[in-house]
Amino acid sequence: MKAVCWHGKHDIRVDKVSDPEIVNPRDVIVKVALTGICGSDLHLYNGKIPTMKPGDILGHEFVGEIVELGSAVTNLQRGDRVVVPFPISCGDCWYCKQGLWSLCDNSNPNSFLLEKMYGDTGAGIYGYSHLYGGYSGGQAEYVRVPYADVGLVKILPELSYEQVLFLTDIFPTGYQAAENCSIKPGDTVAVWGCGPVGLMAMKSATQLGAANVIGIDRFPDRLEKARANCNAEVINYEQADVAETLHNLTGGRGPDACIDAVGMEAQGTGLEAAYDNVKQTLRLENERPIALRQLIRACRKGGTISIPGVYSGFVDKMPMGAVFAKGLTIKTGQTHVHRYVRHLMQLIQLGEIDTTFIITHRMALEEAPGGYRLFNEKRDGCIKIVLNPKLQAGASA
Amino acid sequence: MEATQTRPMGGKQKEINVGRTERNASMVGGAALALSGLTTIAKRRLLPGLAMMAAGGMLMYRGKTGHCDIYESIGLDTGGSEDHGLTVEKFLTVNRLPQDVYEFWRHLENLPSFMRHLASVEVTGERTSHWKAAGPGGISVEWDAEIVEDYPGQLIQWHSVGDAEIPNEGLVEFREAPGGRGTEVKVTIRYYPPGGAAGKIAAKVAHALNAMEIEEDLKRLKQILETGETATAARSNGHH
Repeated sequence: MKAVCWHGKHDIRVDKVSDPEIVNPRDVIVKVALTGICGSDLHLYNGKIPTMKPGDILGHEFVGEIVELGSAVTNLQRGDRVVVPFPISCGDCWYCKQGLWSLCDNSNPNSFLLEKMYGDTGAGIYGYSHLYGGYSGGQAEYVRVPYADVGLVKILPELSYEQVLFLTDIFPTGYQAAENCSIKPGDTVAVWGCGPVGLMAMKSATQLGAANVIGIDRFPDRLEKARANCNAEVINYEQADVAETLHNLTGGRGPDACIDAVGMEAQGTGLEAAYDNVKQTLRLENERPIALRQLIRACRKGGTISIPGVYSGFVDKMPMGAVFAKGLTIKTGQTHVHRYVRHLMQLIQLGEIDTTFIITHRMALEEAPGGYRLFNEKRDGCIKIVLNPKLQAGASA
Repeated sequence: MEATQTRPMGGKQKEINVGRTERNASMVGGAALALSGLTTIAKRRLLPGLAMMAAGGMLMYRGKTGHCDIYESIGLDTGGSEDHGLTVEKFLTVNRLPQDVYEFWRHLENLPSFMRHLASVEVTGERTSHWKAAGPGGISVEWDAEIVEDYPGQLIQWHSVGDAEIPNEGLVEFREAPGGRGTEVKVTIRYYPPGGAAGKIAAKVAHALNAMEIEEDLKRLKQILETGETATAARSNGHH
């Protein structure tokens, strides 16, 4: 089969590899219908996540059709159209039973690596380095899906693959980020990053009752999506002082909750950005937590910092004094996707939320290398690329 | 008492500073370690495998030549002093009832399903069993074991009997975790590297790796009991 493989920093290739097989009784094989390139895939593309190996198949956002079932999977059938949550979760450990699916005890065969780094492990993730289990990803024609009996959700017949693709990751991720804000009537939620997760977070915040939503970015087309599709006020951080604008937009209080939908590769301006760039380049610091520092500064007293953006190591100059003095609550972590898929699919079915507006590029699987480059350089208004294994190269829309 | 060991001064050949029993044991244990290193590499293709192979290779070299660089580098020469064994102690919580975890363990034939170094455990009597660990090139290490304490749902204690190459004893305890969190499993394995203090020091090189293997074994036990299978990222049943 064809698969999008990582071969090194900025080196993505479409390789011919062997088809996956059923290995464990609870596995199924999914024939991929659509698969997304996630913003977090760019961290891999840019070589920021350790333990990638040449030939690793990328991708953790994919939907498709079941073509083969393991002996223990009795609740699904061949031909079922399914959403595959990006965390691989067993459904049986204490964490899964608590609904903390992305903290699954059992699904990461390389758990000892994360234990060394963080003190404990999280769930395995498709196509996201050997730290997260070394599982082959979904940017391929076929994928082996473990624990399918608890992981997969059947797609309602009236919904298209495109309508539900983002239930695999970014919609639940944005939704969990908004839910973590404990939104109350009258709340203003500010979202750093108007990429796919940021846009989903804004939509979700409104859905959960936020009175005002503010989007922060530097790309005009992304800000326009936030304004037009998410009814957000927008701030271009290259043209305005973020803290001051937020201060003014909230009557001097600051946002009730701030969402960091940027993560460890934040861009910034001025001396602070230069400081982090140099330190990250020299490997003295894993992250450029520029957005995160701004969030903490801007958030109102007693407010909430919600972090769906990915961090993997150490950050410098964290303003813990401000966190303490303002009594902030910080909520973060990988998304417990399994918790949200059914509910959010209903919202899509009811027409309350449409997520397809973020798609800017539809491409063939073979076009993934160019897609990664385009997405990384944020050229051509690129916000979200969806790969379709059935498309011929050159037929992109 | 005076030390009786004589050391030829200035000799060019590497001297034998490892006792004979220990040399044989080094061959076996070293081979087993080197193999388990290879298995680890095949499974994960990661550093611990290399380290284990290095430790295993060192032991084999030692067994073959009767010389140990590590002894030399720390200025130790071992003749036959006694040792007190090495102990590994590990804890893990399994989301199953103590009685269930106990029963799975007490059915000793189950042990190789999560203890990767074991090829088989054959139950030979109510309390006795025969254990086989796989080694490279057809070498296998075998020993008999006997259960000495058995409290259903609480603990099992066993030890090797007869002339085991690597005498060992184990204790596994099952305790109900608070708030419906399942069972806290505590495993204590003590093993006696052959050849006295010499073996002990050689084994110390590999000890951390053994401890890690036991930790990985426990995780597989948890996976099997909780999910019914062992987690793997393999894409096929072949050699990937």
